[in-house]
Amino acid sequence: QLEPEGFLATEEGVNSLLNAAFAEGYINGYEGKNRVMLENWSTDIEWETDGAENRTASQVTNFTLDASLDWLFGTMWLRPYRAIRNANLLLDNIDKATISDEDKAVYVAEARFIRVLSYVHLYSWFGSVPLRTSSNDPLELPRAEDAVLRQFIADELLAVAKVLPDPGSEKNYGRPNKGAAMALLCKFYLNTKQWQKAADQAQALIDLNLYSLYANYENLFKVENERNSEFILVNPQSPQGAGMNYMNGAFPPGFASDPRTGLTMRSNWANWAAQYRLYDTFYNSFDDDDNRRNLILTRYINTQGATVSLLNNNNTRSFKYWPDANAIGNEHGNDMSEIRYADILLSRAEALNELNGPNQESIDLVNQIRQRAGLGAKPLTIGQFSSKEDFREHLLKERGWEFYAEVGIRREDLIRMDRFIASAHERGKTNAQDYHRFFPIPQAALDADPSLAQNEGY
Amino acid sequence: YGQQITIKLKDASVEEMLKVVRQQTGYNLLYSPQIISKGHRFDIDVEHAPLQEVLDHVFEKQPLAYTISGKTIILKEKPAPAITSVTEQQHLEGQVVDEHGVALEGATVLLKNTTIATQTDSKGIFRLQVPNQQRITVLIVRSVGYVSQEIPVSGTEKVKVVLKEEQTSLNQVVVIGYGTQKKSDITGSVSSIKSSDFNKGTNTTFDQMISGKASGVQIIQNSAEPGGGVSVRIRGASSINAGSSPLYVIDGLPIDNAPAVTGGGANFDAPRVPRNPLAALNPADIESIEILKDASATAIYGARGANGVVIVTTKKGKEGATQVSYNASTGLQQVAHKIDLLTTSEYKDVLNGIIDAGGGAETYRIGDDLSTTDWQDEVFRKAIIQNHALSLSGGNNKTKFYTSFNYFDQQGVVKSTGFKRYSAKLNLSTAVTDKLETGVSLNVSYTRDDYAPGGFGINAESGTIYSMLNFDPTLALRDANGVYTLSPFLDMDNPLALLEGANALANTYRTFGTAYAKYQLLPGLSAKINLGGDFSNQKRDVYVSRITRVGGPLGGSASILQGTLSNYLVEGTLNYDRQWNEHTVSAVLGATTQRFITDNTNQNARNFPSDLTGTYNTGLGDQSTYRLGSERRTNRLQSYLGRINYTFKDKYLLTGSFRMDGSSRFGTNNKFGYFPSFALGWKLHQETFMQGATAISNLKPRLSWGQTGNQEIGDYAAITTFSTGPSAILDDQLVTTTQPARIANPDLKWETTEQFNIGVDFGLFNERISGTIDYFQKKTFNMLLDLPIPTTTGFTSILSNVGSIRNTGWDFGITTQNLIGDFAWTTNINLSTLHNNVLNLGGIGQIITGDAGQTNQVFIIREGLPVYSFYGYQIDGIWQTDDDFSVTRDPVAPGDIKYHDSNGDGVVNADDRTILGNSFPKLTWSLGNNFSYKNWQLSVFLEGVEGIKMLNNNLVDAYFPVQFRRNRFAEPYLNRWTPEHPSDKYPSFVNPTGQGSKLVNSYTVEDASYLRLRTLTLAYNLPLNKKYMRNLGVSLTAENLFTISDYSGFDPTVNPNGGAFNRIDFNAYPMAKTFILGVSVDF
Repeated sequence: QLEPEGFLATEEGVNSLLNAAFAEGYINGYEGKNRVMLENWSTDIEWETDGAENRTASQVTNFTLDASLDWLFGTMWLRPYRAIRNANLLLDNIDKATISDEDKAVYVAEARFIRVLSYVHLYSWFGSVPLRTSSNDPLELPRAEDAVLRQFIADELLAVAKVLPDPGSEKNYGRPNKGAAMALLCKFYLNTKQWQKAADQAQALIDLNLYSLYANYENLFKVENERNSEFILVNPQSPQGAGMNYMNGAFPPGFASDPRTGLTMRSNWANWAAQYRLYDTFYNSFDDDDNRRNLILTRYINTQGATVSLLNNNNTRSFKYWPDANAIGNEHGNDMSEIRYADILLSRAEALNELNGPNQESIDLVNQIRQRAGLGAKPLTIGQFSSKEDFREHLLKERGWEFYAEVGIRREDLIRMDRFIASAHERGKTNAQDYHRFFPIPQAALDADPSLAQNEGY
Repeated sequence: YGQQITIKLKDASVEEMLKVVRQQTGYNLLYSPQIISKGHRFDIDVEHAPLQEVLDHVFEKQPLAYTISGKTIILKEKPAPAITSVTEQQHLEGQVVDEHGVALEGATVLLKNTTIATQTDSKGIFRLQVPNQQRITVLIVRSVGYVSQEIPVSGTEKVKVVLKEEQTSLNQVVVIGYGTQKKSDITGSVSSIKSSDFNKGTNTTFDQMISGKASGVQIIQNSAEPGGGVSVRIRGASSINAGSSPLYVIDGLPIDNAPAVTGGGANFDAPRVPRNPLAALNPADIESIEILKDASATAIYGARGANGVVIVTTKKGKEGATQVSYNASTGLQQVAHKIDLLTTSEYKDVLNGIIDAGGGAETYRIGDDLSTTDWQDEVFRKAIIQNHALSLSGGNNKTKFYTSFNYFDQQGVVKSTGFKRYSAKLNLSTAVTDKLETGVSLNVSYTRDDYAPGGFGINAESGTIYSMLNFDPTLALRDANGVYTLSPFLDMDNPLALLEGANALANTYRTFGTAYAKYQLLPGLSAKINLGGDFSNQKRDVYVSRITRVGGPLGGSASILQGTLSNYLVEGTLNYDRQWNEHTVSAVLGATTQRFITDNTNQNARNFPSDLTGTYNTGLGDQSTYRLGSERRTNRLQSYLGRINYTFKDKYLLTGSFRMDGSSRFGTNNKFGYFPSFALGWKLHQETFMQGATAISNLKPRLSWGQTGNQEIGDYAAITTFSTGPSAILDDQLVTTTQPARIANPDLKWETTEQFNIGVDFGLFNERISGTIDYFQKKTFNMLLDLPIPTTTGFTSILSNVGSIRNTGWDFGITTQNLIGDFAWTTNINLSTLHNNVLNLGGIGQIITGDAGQTNQVFIIREGLPVYSFYGYQIDGIWQTDDDFSVTRDPVAPGDIKYHDSNGDGVVNADDRTILGNSFPKLTWSLGNNFSYKNWQLSVFLEGVEGIKMLNNNLVDAYFPVQFRRNRFAEPYLNRWTPEHPSDKYPSFVNPTGQGSKLVNSYTVEDASYLRLRTLTLAYNLPLNKKYMRNLGVSLTAENLFTISDYSGFDPTVNPNGGAFNRIDFNAYPMAKTFILGVSVDF
């Protein structure tokens, strides 16, 4: 254990503290998986059975969750606030450290990025939350005004995007870059329905000419291709202890091999009790030619040599994060993208539609995505969409096909397009009510802070 | 009084002899030269003889007589002998003294078979007037606290009667902090357990020997594994976040009872609670254990006294011929109680039945051609215990020694577990001069713990017990290739693969002891310097081989954890004892300092060319997998202490003590704590007005008050430090990080426990019935609490001195001698009650805490409730087909568990949770009966607890299975709800997790009350010619013969969660039933 004063006066100390902010701010490992599942299990694509996780999943899927839900506190609340704490501590002390001004500026921007990333997450999950920007802020801090937090997020992202290095020129792969800040801002504008700003920000990213769609969707998520031109904001994973955990629940019981691809179970992969399943309605909504559907497992050969079909039982599996041959137990190395270039293209398409209704630019943007999905022969045309709502509905579907099982996207899409509760009701989840668009503030956080009020409805 | 003298003179005069006596005793002499000149010369040669005996001997043949008044020896001429034969009455004269030659006042002298009796005067002299016609044959002499004697007399010569002290509790010497006291003079609440009263049987560590023997003391077996940890709690839990374990003091050395190595090694499911560090001491070396319970007794230990103090005193040599004792025992253990799981055929019927009811996928259906494996039978074994203890002791008038050797080997009832100890002990003291004494007490031991994985791990990361309880009974041990079977439907390793492939071995070397020098500065005043040290070194080797599911893909995983725990003590004390007229004073004043140093290193490597090298050469592992760590911590205590015991007229007792403790653990603003105590005692039975109440042999009300502290918060808790954070991933590599460990609290200090105790010691019918009753109220304030702070700070809590907690209770201890004589029967009863209440939580409404496996939010801490109350869902029954389902919006169907909707809002969620009890026993009791007839002895020891709850987390897994194809507890499943046989107790298990995570409920929080026949011992001492062998005894002991309890796990007494009052049973190591045959030989 080290004393703080001397430690933060050195570049090594500052860097080590910043790394702790990265470690808390980006998702990885079991907790990272928890976050993805908590968000995805309330959507129209994924659900879960079996394993101890079902005790949590059944509450999320059935909209019976309350403030005691165990994964909320550590993963969704404490982690971002620890990232914020570490970033604030760095920002409060960096002036005393002997670091060149140039490097200092980057450290500051990186710390501010990880801090604002955490606020973007918190805002999406819980609504407006206490805004802590210095380690000297009072212990008790009420929720910030919604407008104040929004403004803070936008200002911070705009500011750090000017300082952060271009993608590829970061000191290490995994540190924030300019593109990540711009993409996060674009998505924040989109999710807060600031359509023009979202469209502009997307265009700015496109104009950087640094990103492009990766040619082969099926290979995009494989560990060997994780450094690519499409991933913009990435949660790095490592098999050495903080890896991608999704596959452990995606493997069906007794999985031995996939007859289609020849993928064969390895002894270094874990196959959990928990079963991460996709709804048949979702699987069946794909066009037969859509190669994005290929990353969904529909049948397999089990350890007893029998071929088991997963169809028609809401039991298909996302094998998007194709298992890592070098995985160690639960941990696979596949980095988990949070925002990729396809999302930026579709975001601009959506923002323009919200502003102007169906328009050719939006159609073209979507067709870029469809082209890559093997649907080049089936492009969209503007004539297919009679209204803004009509095109929005298609965008929701298109986004589902493109981004299923990815980090955070589906829940935000459904909420933004006002389909979150309605689609739950369509699935028979009659407990779903408007207030479920936010998660409850975890009970332990409420118990510890009299100034914090629970989200309405919980 | 009671002084011993050594005189060797030839042809000496009385005067010369008395001058030597004066030099050696400090007594004054009073005589006239005329008188002394009448004495005869004589030879004398005595060594260490009591003064009075010497004087009696000398003056017997002299025409002189002496008396002692205060500290003065007065000489007179002897009166002319009376002529008794001619008087009407005979006069019988004599003196009654104790073993030390001290005159006994008030002793009754009775002529046998008559009513002729008298009492001795203040000099112990009696004069009995006997009518002439009465023949004088036998005198009976009695005095309270002494063994009555019958003295044959003939004629009327002067008799001298020496009464032996009765070995009752009253005159036992009791060890208290920094000194000793006669039990009759004690003002505080102290339980003293002598070696003869220890529990017989398998006592790996000494704490098991005193289980049930002292009221107000809870001894909870955290793990029944050989060498497993034990929680000892004295008078409840006085803290939430600081430690609750008592302070252990072994021969004057306060022991750091932390394990040298914490953490269990990578990929190994280590038990949650560390192993027992006290295993280093051979229990056979212990002479007595004193448990200091109230503040008057513990305040002398200041900031470490709040949880009570356990003082261990080891055996010392005695003057005389060398005594050799050898004890050997061997025993057989077997699991006392297996958990009733589904057998293969039940498993098939039940699981297929649930699939038929729609509760499981067709994939999981169980076919034919099944093995019938009882995994419990495969994992358990009959296990052997062996113990050999050899001791030699003896000494002369200057030097005394006790030395012993011990070999103890206990196999565990779970295969591949066990504990071994090799220890040696030396206690040595020598009188260098008349005034200077030095001595050492040294304990050296090597212990070896072999243990199987068995912590709170789950699924693929679980240990043997979890896997054993959950593994599929239809599978064979091994598959066709001879490999341990795995199930495609279970994310879990084969229990036997874990036993064979996951190995942990801890080798611990521990040396502790003290060396002292005591110097008599003045009569009554002595100074003592005591130096002590405790050095414990442990190396733990953990290897998880390829045959395990976890170890296979890793290519083996080797961890080596090494730790050194050391502390040293320097202390100086002054002792003062003085008696004058009716005042007795005993005082101690001292200064002491102790420094503690903890050093740890650990390493892990994976992917070895072969499993054969194990942990012998971690360098063979894949370099990219190397993980290293180390830690060093220190803390220091500096203290000043004082105590005075004052007795007036041997009736009124007063004790006051004070300690000032400085600790490096506390904040800069609060380095020193002050801990006072006072106590009063009144020997009511000594009062003249009580003399009539002859039935009452002892009655001593006591009253005490004091403050003690608790500093067990770990090191550095007061300051902000940076510690290792989670790893970041940069350039696809894990990068270590640092982040703040906590918020600083410069005001942090000890918590204070104020204890008030009122009690009475009593004895009836000449101590045939004796006992102690105490009522205590123990209130902790400035409680060390991880006070929750707004979590938006990134911290969850700050260790603060807030809040208050109270423990109250009654302690009863009663001993009755029902029968004495050839057939003797003694009964010991201990009863304690305990009530705990959180008074103040520093403004925080509640804290919900506790976890085990995937169960969390187990306990609630809330003002007005006992700390760690179980918090969960009340179960009303089972949803039945004809129930009104409109009252609920929850997704429930007939056969599902009906949880109580406390607020009636149609939804059962976290708001509906209620208090489900707590782990504070309402009543703890024990009943010991000892019978002896001639050379035979039988002892029967029963113990029990009433009104206590424990979360059975294995039962949680049975009610809410993690995977369909797991085995389950039989009872709920064989009687499950079906449409044909609707149960209102057990659900259908068709959709067990459909209502979310309601794992802590009124079913899984079980009543852990029990009654147990803990030990049954039959012993026989062979009648011997005592010339060559003093004693030869054989004994047969049975432990845990039966337990009566409603608890459904292995045993209601275990607590793998650690701590005593937040009990969670998960994957507990099963309790054993043991039979031991022992032989003891003394030469």
